[in-house]
Amino acid sequence: MIIEIWTKEKYAGNEEASFIGRLAHAGLKIEAARLSRLYRVDAEFTRDEFDKLGSSLLTDPITERYSLSPGKTGLKDAYRVEVWLKESVTDVVGESVKEAITGVMGKAPGAVRFGRAYYVRCDSEVKLKHAVTRTLVNAVVNKFKIEKV
Amino acid sequence: MPTTLSAFNGLDEKELAELDAACGWSLSGLELKEVQRQFRKMGRQPSRGELETIAQTWSEHCKHKTFSGPVSFRDGGKVKKYKNLFKETIVKATKTLNKKWCLSVFTDNAGIVEFGTGGKWGLAFKAETHNHPCAVEPYGGAETGVGGVIRDILGVGLGAKPVLNTDNFCFGRLDTKKKLPRNSHSPERIMRGVVEGVRDYGNRIGIPTASGGIYFDDGYLLNPLVYVGCAGLIPVDKIEKKVLPGDLIVSIGGRTGRDGIHGATFSSANIDEETSASAVQIGHAVNEKKTLDVLMRARDLGLYNAVTDCGAGGFSSAIGELGSDTGARVRLEKAQLKDTRIEPWEIWVSESQERMILSVPEAKLGKLETILNAESCEYCVLGSFPGDGRLLVTHGEEKVVDLPMAFLHGGVPNFEKPAARRKVKISAAPPARPAGLGAVLKDLLAHPNVCSRHSVITQYDHEVQGGTAIKPLQGKYGDGPGDATVICPRAATLDQEDFAGFAVTHGFGPGVGRIDPYQMALHSVDEAVRNLLCVGADVSRTAILDNFCAASPRDPEVMGDLVLAAEGCHDAAMAYGAPFISGKDSFYNQAKDAEGKEYPIPISLLISATAPVRDVRTAITMNFKEAGNPVYLAGVSCRGMGGSVYNDMTYSGNNQVSPLDMEASVKLYAALSKAMKAGCVAAAHDVSQGGLGVTLAEMAFSGGFGAELDLSGAAAEKGLTPLELLFGESPARLVLEVVKEKEAEFLKLVKGRPVAEIGYVSEEPVLEALLGGERFFREDINDLKRCWKKELI
Amino acid sequence: MKKPKAIILRGTGTNCDIETLNSFRYVGAEPELVHINQLLAGERRVLDYALMAFPGGFSYGDDISAGKIYAVKMAALAADFEAFVRDQRPVIGICNGFQILVKTGLLPENKANAQVSTLYTNDCGHFLAKWVKVKINKKSPCLFTKGLPDEIELPIAHGEGKFIVEDGKVLDSIIARNLHAMTYSENPNGSMLDIAGITNTAGTCFGLMPHPERNFFAWQHPDRPAAARETTAAGYQFFKNAVDYVS
Repeated sequence: MIIEIWTKEKYAGNEEASFIGRLAHAGLKIEAARLSRLYRVDAEFTRDEFDKLGSSLLTDPITERYSLSPGKTGLKDAYRVEVWLKESVTDVVGESVKEAITGVMGKAPGAVRFGRAYYVRCDSEVKLKHAVTRTLVNAVVNKFKIEKV
Repeated sequence: MPTTLSAFNGLDEKELAELDAACGWSLSGLELKEVQRQFRKMGRQPSRGELETIAQTWSEHCKHKTFSGPVSFRDGGKVKKYKNLFKETIVKATKTLNKKWCLSVFTDNAGIVEFGTGGKWGLAFKAETHNHPCAVEPYGGAETGVGGVIRDILGVGLGAKPVLNTDNFCFGRLDTKKKLPRNSHSPERIMRGVVEGVRDYGNRIGIPTASGGIYFDDGYLLNPLVYVGCAGLIPVDKIEKKVLPGDLIVSIGGRTGRDGIHGATFSSANIDEETSASAVQIGHAVNEKKTLDVLMRARDLGLYNAVTDCGAGGFSSAIGELGSDTGARVRLEKAQLKDTRIEPWEIWVSESQERMILSVPEAKLGKLETILNAESCEYCVLGSFPGDGRLLVTHGEEKVVDLPMAFLHGGVPNFEKPAARRKVKISAAPPARPAGLGAVLKDLLAHPNVCSRHSVITQYDHEVQGGTAIKPLQGKYGDGPGDATVICPRAATLDQEDFAGFAVTHGFGPGVGRIDPYQMALHSVDEAVRNLLCVGADVSRTAILDNFCAASPRDPEVMGDLVLAAEGCHDAAMAYGAPFISGKDSFYNQAKDAEGKEYPIPISLLISATAPVRDVRTAITMNFKEAGNPVYLAGVSCRGMGGSVYNDMTYSGNNQVSPLDMEASVKLYAALSKAMKAGCVAAAHDVSQGGLGVTLAEMAFSGGFGAELDLSGAAAEKGLTPLELLFGESPARLVLEVVKEKEAEFLKLVKGRPVAEIGYVSEEPVLEALLGGERFFREDINDLKRCWKKELI
Repeated sequence: MKKPKAIILRGTGTNCDIETLNSFRYVGAEPELVHINQLLAGERRVLDYALMAFPGGFSYGDDISAGKIYAVKMAALAADFEAFVRDQRPVIGICNGFQILVKTGLLPENKANAQVSTLYTNDCGHFLAKWVKVKINKKSPCLFTKGLPDEIELPIAHGEGKFIVEDGKVLDSIIARNLHAMTYSENPNGSMLDIAGITNTAGTCFGLMPHPERNFFAWQHPDRPAAARETTAAGYQFFKNAVDYVS
């Protein structure tokens, strides 16, 4: 199960602006962007249990919301870039969240991995890929995919 | 696994080289032959685990073969031979000086000097590099670099409490015009990643990152340098460690995984496109914080007899080192693993981060376990130190290593390296004078090697632990560039009535090194000592660290640079009475550029220095404090624009390096030190990058004052041009603001030394410099500050 | 006179605990470092102490968000913490400690597990360590800031210090009761109404992003006037007030 955490739109201006600026610096002009955090929780939990994780642990109730069906954004005609650490690389955040989940649920998930998703409206996937490899990901430690949403 | 491995003893030279490349050992032909010889003598084939252990133990990273090896240095017609370059230069100076306040030098993970007055504490200090990992994965490389040097401090003696982190970086120019090869990151990306890595690791673990520097030069475009350092406090009765036969081997902290395979050998192979993913890791600061918290409690309760960090070589090095006298019996199946897909030999050599090895008497294991559990720190008991001198490593029924310790730590074959003095054309002609010296000053202030570092420094928690008395950013607006950091380590001593502290700073000058590596070493030691003096530290008790970075030692000119710099280190240490207490080196900092040509870094020597500060409350900052106070220039301004920032901007036609007169500067600093102790000095700032003009501007705008100056009285070498006086970087000079009421006393204390009044601090926010009747410049300090205060990141 | 016992709460990644301990000891308290594991195991009880402090740091790496995991761990002990605050025993949360107090809901309304405000990522998007000027709200019931001048200097060192209240009514009520005990003179992180620290209605539970323990002595200030070398500084008052209150 992948739990996606969103900053509510009214609080997301800064992170979006800084992201757009960073990619502009790498030569990509972006019309609009949305950002989210992803937690992949490998566990046989029920949907209610995942809901509990989303609401009581993984989100800030004031500024964030969560979704159990990743990829849904208001952004039309956008690309979705999903970035994870390679499985061979120790995921420090994932480990720490796994411990926290064990505390909250009273049972340990198999593994937890932390990733990020970027929703980007821009004119070219090729340029996007180029900019992403120059700024957001390092092929040595990251894996990523780009898809149209 | 390469099939030839099982027939190791019968391989020929070519096959050995192929095997070495396939396994990534970075052993030389000579070394491989020696291994073969040893195993033939034993009458059996080596196991993979044994070969890996040897590759790790004999690696450049662990053994420092180049610096500690024989060298033949050709200088024109003369030849000088060294059996062990390091011992005959740097170590020799320390031995000759034989300072009583040096408590441990060159033997442990870090050097230790006395701290404070009570004889109760020692100060451990260490710096090292993490260059190659930062070139490949800047964020993770920087994080694990910081984590590694912190563990050195945790693993010195029975463990010191870290109270300061230092960081010095060299990057390519952010505005570089050179085309990068396909797999290189841009300097900007490397800088961002490195800064964020140092930030996230240092801030999380709660150690102030409060001293360092950033140097931009296209020589570092493909091979950035990342020097990380750490200082810690240790009770003097916890400096001795000794593994006792029967002690248990306990690993605490992080788990072991495949992510840490082949870091040690990595640091001696040139970076190329096949660098594997497993060579870089992401740091886990919180795990290291747990080990820190456990260690400090367990140390004070005396729960272990020895400790060391897992660095390069992982268990194999750490346990091999601790057990070098006793031998070790290791059961790898007991190790806590990240996941189970790992070969036994990989567990043995994996360099997974955040692990420490303790030597624990069996009777004390229970108490230690209580603390480990209380701090949620993972651990495992891996075996014991039996006392038979044998290294036996097993995984279940499988024998991974079975060797006498003496073999591993005995003679690594070494061969003489040729070295030669580099030929550099020197032009001593008077430099060309540009029009508009005020405009030059503004350009210098905006130069990447001079401008403000606030956008980096403010990302570091430089005040955690509450003991940062003199901060990297200081003055009226909290943004003036300090010369040295002063720490009052009461988070370690817990003594609220003790104001004893220590200062830390650095000297670095590859610009000079390109022209004259010997003078570079002198200048760098001088710069470090002078920086310590500026904050009011007791420079007669300076202790220094050397960190050499160079390109391939197979190039005789690179070796020549090294020899000259090492000789400079020796001479400077002797002249300043400042022993080296620890050092490191990193070679093969070169890579192929976009055209496929070898692209080496310039010889780079970071001198890190520390000296005691008797009472941190009396330490001095660099900003002007009060209008009307007289301003003095101490030291003689000498000819030569070589290695200057000015020459980097616009070549002046002169690349001569001003030689350092060490005897004169030692006398000068002793006199100034007395004047500072007497409270005569309100502010002090060294003259370095950008020269005197930059020093004056920084003192002015950091204090919100102007200054009216006439430089005609300044002590100067005959024939000195105005450009050299204002923007030359001859060493051993500093600017002082003297307390007006104490000027007479000041003059008495510095009598006979080249110290000259050059003007006074003024209320009007204007910096004006004249030479007799001629005005060099007259600039608004706020304009100057605007040029200087750039956002680097 | 018997020294009041202060509990300095630690956890994995707490890293301003020693200087907080030093500060409380200096003003005459008897501080003890206690790991949350010790509370959860029943080895220590919060109600055995007169004062409580949540020091700065990166508890549990600040993974998920700053102070979140620590706050979640405290949930099992919510009744004890609520009782401590209800008794009007002084509680101070500094930086990460403030984040924890807010994320449990102990601030501002003393309702553990009912978070009404948060401390979010700075507007600049990253960690920021610098000295700032803060204004002291003289009308605030906060006991920690009593006797301080109108404006003082303290260093901040945080990545998530932007104070946000979602519900306008809650914010109005905070202002009406003067719970905003401290505001930034120049907002460094985008906090609503420049808020740097808030208190509960009783004035006994207080959280702030700046670090008073780092401006405890005059020598800790980046601009060092020679005259001030021997004296304590503004940060001292926060700790002194707490000890005076219970003595």
